[in-house]
Formats: sequence, C-alpha cells, structure tokens
Amino acid sequence: MTKTMVLAGMMVVLAGASAFGADPPRSISLGASLQLTGQDANTGRYYRDAYNIAIDQINQAGGVKIAGKSIPIALKLLDNQSDTNLSVRQYVQLVTDDKVDFLLGPYASGATLPTSSIAEKYEIPMVEGGGASPQIFSRGYKFIFGTLPPADDYFASIIAMLGQLQPKAKTAALVAADDAFDVSVAKGTRKLLAEAGIEIVVDQTYAAKTTDFSSIMAQIKAKAPDIVLWGGLEPEVLNAIRQAKGLDTGAKLMMSFTVGVPTADFRQALGKDAEDAFGMTAWLPSPTLKDDWFGDAAQFAAAWKAKFGYDPDYHAAAGVAAVEALVKGIESADTLDRAKVRDAIAKSDFASLYARVRFNEGGQIVVPQIVIQIQNGEVTPIYTDHFITKPIFPVPPWGQRG
Amino acid sequence: MLFAQILVDGVLLGGLYGLMALGMALVWGVLNIVNLAHGAFIMLGGYVVYFLFVAGLDPFAALPIAMLALFALGYVIQRGLLNLIVRSALLNTLLFTFGLNVVLTYLAQLLFSADFRTINPSYAGANVTLAGVTVPLAWLAAFLVAVLLAGLLQLLLDRSRLGRAIRATAQNLDAARLYGVDPRQIYAVTFGIGAALAGTAGGLYGLVAQITPYIGATLTAKSFVIAIIGGLENPLLVILGGIVIGLAEALASLYLGPTYSDVISFGLLVLILVLRPARSLKLA
Repeated sequence: MTKTMVLAGMMVVLAGASAFGADPPRSISLGASLQLTGQDANTGRYYRDAYNIAIDQINQAGGVKIAGKSIPIALKLLDNQSDTNLSVRQYVQLVTDDKVDFLLGPYASGATLPTSSIAEKYEIPMVEGGGASPQIFSRGYKFIFGTLPPADDYFASIIAMLGQLQPKAKTAALVAADDAFDVSVAKGTRKLLAEAGIEIVVDQTYAAKTTDFSSIMAQIKAKAPDIVLWGGLEPEVLNAIRQAKGLDTGAKLMMSFTVGVPTADFRQALGKDAEDAFGMTAWLPSPTLKDDWFGDAAQFAAAWKAKFGYDPDYHAAAGVAAVEALVKGIESADTLDRAKVRDAIAKSDFASLYARVRFNEGGQIVVPQIVIQIQNGEVTPIYTDHFITKPIFPVPPWGQRG
Repeated sequence: MLFAQILVDGVLLGGLYGLMALGMALVWGVLNIVNLAHGAFIMLGGYVVYFLFVAGLDPFAALPIAMLALFALGYVIQRGLLNLIVRSALLNTLLFTFGLNVVLTYLAQLLFSADFRTINPSYAGANVTLAGVTVPLAWLAAFLVAVLLAGLLQLLLDRSRLGRAIRATAQNLDAARLYGVDPRQIYAVTFGIGAALAGTAGGLYGLVAQITPYIGATLTAKSFVIAIIGGLENPLLVILGGIVIGLAEALASLYLGPTYSDVISFGLLVLILVLRPARSLKLA
C-alpha cells in the first residue's frame, strides 16, 4: 500500500515534469471500499492484495497509456469493516470527497448490490470481482461490470459431471444461506437439478452467519440424499463440514460447496476433513492463461505467493482482472471521460491471467466453472466439459478419507 | 428418530451456550456490570487453546491453561481499569466494556489475522450412535465440562470462604466491608473467574465451530439472553438457560426453518421480560 503510494507519487512527479498542458491527467485514481476488518476480512484481503499487485505491476510497466502519455494509477482504499451500510457511504465519499476517477468493487454480492447503485447514480464505471449474483446485473445498470461468473450457474458443471458418473445421483439436498449470492445460487440450482432429473429431498435456507447446522444435518441424515449441494460463505461451510462429520451425516455419493474449497484456508482449517470435498473455481493458475502484465497465470501465482506469502485463488485473479478491464477500457477509450470508458469496457475482449474477459449484456463475465476436489491435500481439477482427473467417487465415509 | 436427534443436539450445544453465559451472569450478578467484552474473552480463550493445540497439547489439557490466562487478564482489567468506575452509572461500565470489546477484537485481528482457526484433534469428529441417535463426542465432552464447571462454581460460592465473600459483596457491600472483605479484591477475583469461564467456553467452542477475531459480538448477545433466562444467582440454572436456548433454536430450525433460530432466542428474551418484569427489573 505505502509502496504503491510512494511509487505512484514518484510517477506523478515524473509525469508532471514532462507534461505541458492540463491534458492528459497526471494520475488516475481508482477507489474501493473493502472488507479489511470484520467478519469478511479473510476474503476481503484477496481483493486488497489483488488491487495492489495489479496496480503495482501496471505502474511498473509504465502505467496507463492515454494520448501517447503513460499515466500512473493511484489506489484509494477504505475499510468498510464488513459493514454494507458503511460501504455504501464510503463509495459516496470516494466519489464526492476523494473525487476518484473510477471505482473497483467490494467483496461479495451483498455489498456489491447496493454499492453498484452509487456507481450508477454518479455514472462512474465500477468493475468488481467480488459479486457473482445475477441480481447485480439484471437491473439495467450501465456502469457496473463483474468478473465473477453468474451465481445461478455455480453448480452447473458439478451437475453435468454427475450425469457422467456411476452410480447416478437421483436425490439431492440443497442448503443455502439467505445472502444475495446464495439465494441466486439456490434459485439457479433448483432449475439445474430439475433439468437433470434429480429430485430435491431437502431444501433448506438458513440465516447468513449461522454457526449451528445440527438441525439441518439431522434432516439430511433422515432423508439420506445421494448428493448434498451447499451454498454458503466460507465460515458457514467450515462449520457445516465439521458438524457433518461430528454427527456422521453426509451424502451417499458426494458433497459440494460453492465457496471455500479452492482456498488455502479451507484445507488448513479442516485438515483431513477437507479431503474429497467437491467445489468449483472459475480459475486455476494455468500457464496457458496469458496476460499482458504478468506473463501468464502461473507466473502471476508465483509472484503473488512471493509477495503476500499465501496462494492466490479465483477471488485474487478476478480482482486483478477487474483492474485490468478498467485499464484496458481507459486505454481503448483514450480518455478519462467516464461515459466513453464505460462504452469501451462494455466492448472488452482481451486475454488475461484470469480468463478471456468479455462482458454480457448486463455487464457480467461468462466463464465456465471448473469442478475441483481436494485429493491428498491438493486442489485437484476434475471436470470442465470433460474429465481432467479421475474423481474420488462415491466419496468414502468420514472415517476413511484422506 | 429425527426428533430425538434434534433434542440431543439442542441439549448438548445448549450446555456449551450455558457455559458461555456463566461468566457473564456471575459478573453481572456480583459487580452489576453487563460485560459487553464477554464474547471477546471467549474469543481470546479460543485462541489460547488453539495455539497450545497447534504446539502439540491436547485441547482438553489446554483448557486449564486458558482458564489461568484469562483469569489473569480479567483480574488485571478489573483491578487496574474497571474498578475505577465500577460504582458509577451502568452506562459508564457499558461504554467501557463496549470499548474493550472493540480493542480486543482488533488487537486479535492484528496479532492473529482474520484466518479461520479450528481446534481439530483427531477425535473432533468422533461420535457414538445410541439407539439411532448420533452423539458427537466433542459436543458431549463440552457439555460435561460445562456442567462440571457450573457445579464447581456452585460449590465455590456455597461452601468456600471466597464464595461467601463474593456473595456477601453482592448482597450488602457495607456489611461485607465491616466483616473485613476487601471489595476491590473480591471484584477483581470475580471478574477474573468470569473471564476464566469465558476462556474455557472459547476453547470448547473451537472444537465445534471456528474461531476468528469476530465471533465475540454474537456470543455476547447469546450469553446476555441466556443470563436473563437462567438468572444470575444459580450457576446450574444458567446452564439450564443455555439448554432452553439450545433446544428452542434446534426446534425452531426443524419446524419453522433455520432462518428463524435467532428470532426464537431473542423472542424468548422478550417474552421473559414481559412475563417476569419484576425479576428482570431487579437484574437491570
């Protein structure tokens, strides 16, 4: 953060010395309000680190090129303490007091949903990598763009994979939190399960941040479904898995979770109990994903690990892609005019370390989810539209994993 | 079978909730301080046990160490800080403990990061099945520790010199003084015991859920509700209050849906305040 600021400051001076007129600008400021403390700080840090590493890297490569000049980026980060209302006020502050040029998003759909209205109201492009709920993109807003794939499709590749595995899954338990992201997941998954001919025998919604899932586990145990599909944020998923084991509950064939499984934290917190859990990620650090600033995704992952001391996951890559989409948009619009930059972002089509970045009508990226499973303590890619690795299926009982 | 399973889950978790509330009820009853940092003590106790567990100690062996550490912390905070304002308006102690909670929470994030920590020994997921009901052994152990500690606290209050001094201070400060009780000392010891009980509850909580710097606020709220329901006089009644909440949440979750469990526990609080205003007025 400080390093970024100093670097940006130096570049501002350099750029200032060489610039004659008022145009082009001396620096471009990006603003974001993130969960740096509070309940969601653990995932919020991915976005803090993603925004910082991306901006450092872009500044080192000369910054943003407008009208033949290289302009550095400065980042203004505020801590919303995992409080959505505070986040909304902070985005207003970023726009009206700090007068930032463009906005980057907060973490998770719950915070992105209201804060994107600020972007829309002030007609400032916001690119976010933290909110996947299609509700964000279905309101006809023009200034919000998202780099996470739609929440209602999160389980699509899992269900497609199940169609090709023996024994066939016939019954499912669907459990989801009542936050914006998981409500969308549950809605989309009900449809996907119906299309796949899998009957939902337990369908439960719980209050976000719940810690005790014993009643839900008892109901799952009573119905003994073939699969359990769980939509919840990471703290809830960790509790659910530990309590499932303690109460000797689970599915006959497999359990899958929307969030948590790809993170290093998940394996660290659960140890052996993480084994064989299915999940999904829109991103894996593959060298085939080329990037203009980082070389490729594998090099990016190595740089990230060296800088921050932990492994990046798809949140990290989506955060970097958000910065890159904004920068590419500014460069192709060749101006800081917000409406023109907005139009340029809408036409984005570039290869990045995250995925090929293209936005649909509503402003959301479309990338397929890769099915993953924890095997021998490693996140193992299993299935996209074909099998990559042989899954452990059906998953053995709790005592025999790992 | 589903019903029996849910009853068992509710009772076992309720016992742990009761232990969480025990320290808060004791401090509230004796010092007339509603400790809003109580959940932060639970969180800190969880971290003590977690780090000892990571260093290779069995979590149950680490519990006494967490108790001692939190006792010392509670003693020092009461003796050095809270004693200065203990006799002023309730709002002052509320403000103080509110601030203490913020400080402890953010210190914990600085020191321990926001990573999710779990106390996950090899037996954490072990269970036995009796007549079709699965009993997680970690939950059962947490329940037994809760009942044991409540019983010990009851014995301490009833039988020991210290306990009599604590009760005397709570009942009539002037009379206690005349009999040679030093209230500063008694307050600090009582607050220390409250913190120690919270710390133990935190260690056990880490066995069933995960620890982050932010678990405190919810647990304070839960402890508050249970302290009101269970009363402030009798430790075993506090455990019973925890069981009532545990059962109410489990049954609400089964029959009304899991989104309603908080509605039920706070609804119970309102109900009790309405039905037994005399007692709750005396408490507040």
